[in-house]
Amino acid sequence: MRAARTGRRLLRLYPAGWRARYGDELEALIVDASGGGRVPWRTRADVVRAAARERAAAAGLGGAGPAGERVRGGVLLVLCAWALFVVGGLVVQRTSEHWQAVTPAADRALPSAAFAVLVGAAACASVLVVAGTALALPSLIAFLRGGGWPQIRSRVIGATVVTDVTVVATIGLVVWAGTLTAAERDGGDVAYAAAFVIWALLGVACLGAWTLVAVAVARRLRLPEATLRAEAWIAAAVAAAMVAMTAAAVVWWAALASAAPWFLSGRPAGATGATFAPQLAVAVALMLAAVALAAAGARQAVRALPELGERP
Amino acid sequence: MAKRTDDARTGPTRANDPTVLILTSLASGEKHGYALLLDIEGFAGTRLGPGTLYGAIGRLESRGLIEAVGEAGRRRPYRLTAAGAETLRVTLDEMRAIVDEGAARLARPPALGIAPAAGAA
Repeated sequence: MRAARTGRRLLRLYPAGWRARYGDELEALIVDASGGGRVPWRTRADVVRAAARERAAAAGLGGAGPAGERVRGGVLLVLCAWALFVVGGLVVQRTSEHWQAVTPAADRALPSAAFAVLVGAAACASVLVVAGTALALPSLIAFLRGGGWPQIRSRVIGATVVTDVTVVATIGLVVWAGTLTAAERDGGDVAYAAAFVIWALLGVACLGAWTLVAVAVARRLRLPEATLRAEAWIAAAVAAAMVAMTAAAVVWWAALASAAPWFLSGRPAGATGATFAPQLAVAVALMLAAVALAAAGARQAVRALPELGERP
Repeated sequence: MAKRTDDARTGPTRANDPTVLILTSLASGEKHGYALLLDIEGFAGTRLGPGTLYGAIGRLESRGLIEAVGEAGRRRPYRLTAAGAETLRVTLDEMRAIVDEGAARLARPPALGIAPAAGAA
């Protein structure tokens, strides 16, 4: 049966513990609700959304439980969103290299202003993320002194291995790049282009691994109420900065599409060309997804604040 | 009026919250997933998605507001617990207070005026 097959595939999205308890029942419901035939896209989307929620809850990012846990979960959701946003931001950064050089001076004001907002908000958000991390340091030290290292050792080792591989790959890529011409580095050498993509994926894996370490550690820390409050507002500010950066990136893209379309299509200055840049579209999509995630996390954290300190 | 309660701590407070709909449905007797889906669609006009339904079932069961009946199976029924019935009562009281207040305010002459319906003099 098609519905049963689709149901089983969808169930793989859920955490193992949840699947063991409710998997058979949910699969039967998907089959019943679909009449045994094709599972509607609306139903699939609903199950995917619900599975993401269960995954978030299993990772300590959920919106249930005592106020302190909801604040912590919301803050960590913003941290995960920030990691996703950084990936999109790096694509924008890479795509935007040398844009000023090929844009007529008379048309540079709007894209320059948008780019300045993008860079300024990125700097502010980075400082806020560092400040949020620093605020949790005393609790981290207490956690490690209290014998917490074994609980996080395997994750830290895993992230360290991924980082080591990335560093080695970076050195290899830099050495290789030194033997190539500019044209070969910019896509002329297929092998180098493939290696660059693999290196970029390694970078994403590295960022993801350390984000997971941060989440795993933060879930185990005893954070004082004042720290939780500060973290919630920092998370809200980071989310706001992400909104500003996304808007600035879109304005920059639109302004550049009007002022220097040749830059986006990779043609010589003055040439006509498409203003749609697939890599920018991917970057903005990542940024928008991250903004949605960050907004949900910040909302969860800030909404739980009034209950902090209340007896359950 | 009592202070509004919070979903995560004590129970649901919105009529369209899946957990309220499930508790209401189970108030008339035990049901399995698909029966819940059809019953809720019948009395609330809302078709919950399977993922939404089982997410809410999981939350209600973890709070001890509902419980599974009998052996584990593909179409396992659920029923309300005493705590679930009490939570539903409290939730309905809160909703009733809002309904009563809204109805009373509509019945009184408005202080600042309400826009007249289109076509009214």
